[in-house]
Amino acid sequence: MKCKGRKGVALQYATALFLILVLNFFLPRMMPGDPFLILSADAENEVISVLTEEQRQYFISYYGLDRPVYEQFANYIFSVARGDLGESIYYKVPVVEAIWTRLPWTALIVVGATLISTIAGILLGLFSARRREKASDKLLMVGLISFAEIPSFLLGLIILLAFSVKLKAFPLAGAMTPFAHYSSYLEASWDIGYHAVLPMITLSLTQLTGIYLLTRNTLVTVMTKDYIRTARAKGIGERLVWNRHALHNALLPVITRVGFMIGMLMGGAVLVENVFSYPGVGSLLRSSVIARDYPLIQGIMLVMAVSILTVNYLVEIIYERMDPRTASCEAV
Amino acid sequence: MIIDLNSFISILNSIRGAVERFTTAGKMGVVGLLFMIFIAVFAPFVTFYEPSAISGRSLEPPGPVHILGTDELGMDIWSQICYGARMSLAIGLAVALISGVGGGFLGLMAGYIGGNWDKALLRTIDLTMALPSFPLLIVIAAFLNPSIANVILVLVFLSWAKPARVVRSQALSMKKQQYIISARLHGAGPSYIIRKHIMPEAMPLIFVSILNISSYAIVAESGLAFLGLGDPTSKSWGMMLHYATSFRSIYFTPYWQWWLMPPLIALILLLLSLAFIGRDMERIVDPRLRLKGDS
Repeated sequence: MKCKGRKGVALQYATALFLILVLNFFLPRMMPGDPFLILSADAENEVISVLTEEQRQYFISYYGLDRPVYEQFANYIFSVARGDLGESIYYKVPVVEAIWTRLPWTALIVVGATLISTIAGILLGLFSARRREKASDKLLMVGLISFAEIPSFLLGLIILLAFSVKLKAFPLAGAMTPFAHYSSYLEASWDIGYHAVLPMITLSLTQLTGIYLLTRNTLVTVMTKDYIRTARAKGIGERLVWNRHALHNALLPVITRVGFMIGMLMGGAVLVENVFSYPGVGSLLRSSVIARDYPLIQGIMLVMAVSILTVNYLVEIIYERMDPRTASCEAV
Repeated sequence: MIIDLNSFISILNSIRGAVERFTTAGKMGVVGLLFMIFIAVFAPFVTFYEPSAISGRSLEPPGPVHILGTDELGMDIWSQICYGARMSLAIGLAVALISGVGGGFLGLMAGYIGGNWDKALLRTIDLTMALPSFPLLIVIAAFLNPSIANVILVLVFLSWAKPARVVRSQALSMKKQQYIISARLHGAGPSYIIRKHIMPEAMPLIFVSILNISSYAIVAESGLAFLGLGDPTSKSWGMMLHYATSFRSIYFTPYWQWWLMPPLIALILLLLSLAFIGRDMERIVDPRLRLKGDS
């Protein structure tokens, strides 16, 4: 492995962020064409430029495109830092606002999926480790590993077809029943939960296996340790040995994994939301792609990238605090 | 040239030897993959219509004329599946070969030469792996025109780091092995040692990462196409999913049964096949993994 302190980690994430900003800034400028070269052709072979040369010059200086590139880039960085991501062409609102109204839905299913996959993964891992090498352990392992190979949006389509189209047990789309009037908060949250169940389960299934395998394998390793034999020798009973001594010590790597999982779930949510027509940031992204709403696409990507980088950075820092062994340099 | 042929044959032999040691799931994976390759290569011979020819009425159910029915525009779905297999396999293979071989080569060099080159490469690998790949993929695909070459380029950029890291650490640990040191003391040059000793050991690792990257690339391509960022002129499975799910009221009609299901099943079949082969290969090339799996 490599040897890097906290400073190195911070530097790495800062560079990644910088790279993303650079990409975001230069991609539109690398596209062919000129935004002010608006041509119209009414009849054949008759091309008329809509803007006069003076108007063109005016627009170029109005948008600051006549200034040197580094100055434009600096301006871009400053406006991003101020939280100004530009204006959506399609929705005619600031990009930040468009994202902000959709973000709670994405957050809901990502948090829900994190909880489901963590809890179910740990429980299944515990179940499997206690029945190690028995039929139920092997079956569970093969089944879950195969599940993990199917990407979330394909799995989502299958779940949607099975539960919403065939069985009609769950809603096909949306996050709430349209035009519903709720008499109480309970009723409203029931409706929201009912709509969120399938997207959450779909998302969590992709990450469940990782948690499950990690819990199972760590538990299996921990169970060979001396202190487990000691605990058993004390006669405290199998249940306490597993739940207190073994699970407690096996959870540290699992917690780290949960942290990194959140980043992956946010990426997965983009596709899963589109499968279930769930009104989160992912659906916003698809509609902005279809409308070729470039500022909005860039804004969404920036928000997603920054949140993923932040979460991963925090996890690395927290993990380092919790487990001092990772801070030291491992020999190659 | 003769050396190339020989090494090619030895690679084929080692693949055959590996397949013989596969589990049932791995063998099923090989069969599945071979089937996909077959319908992709012989697409013109196993289909009756051009994939983008309007050969029937709109949304015909499966029948004797159209085995899997037709889509909204009256194009044969079985043809689209066969020609779509070409797209998925080509993208998977191209991305995996370029980033597996390229990344592996970089890792090998950096691991063997060491020093500042190694440090620079390690930093770049860390950086590439810290980048959130899916959002980046979407934004780049949205701005570049969605041709196959561009998609391949972006995917290579996002996936070369893993094989580079794996091969680098392999080369690094091998450099300190007794027999390599003694070969060097007998006057073997770096290129000889890499070719004769390190390459054969690193090859299986590169092969496994090629398998993994190809399924990553296939998923990424179909995901992009599903979002509407695919090449609109191509007939890929992801594009089929995109058109089918964009069709209004697809779920209220029986159309999904023959329009949405075939690309879905084909994709899952291909990905599971690749995964089963990959897992068995991993088990065979890395004895330490086998121990971990058995414990």
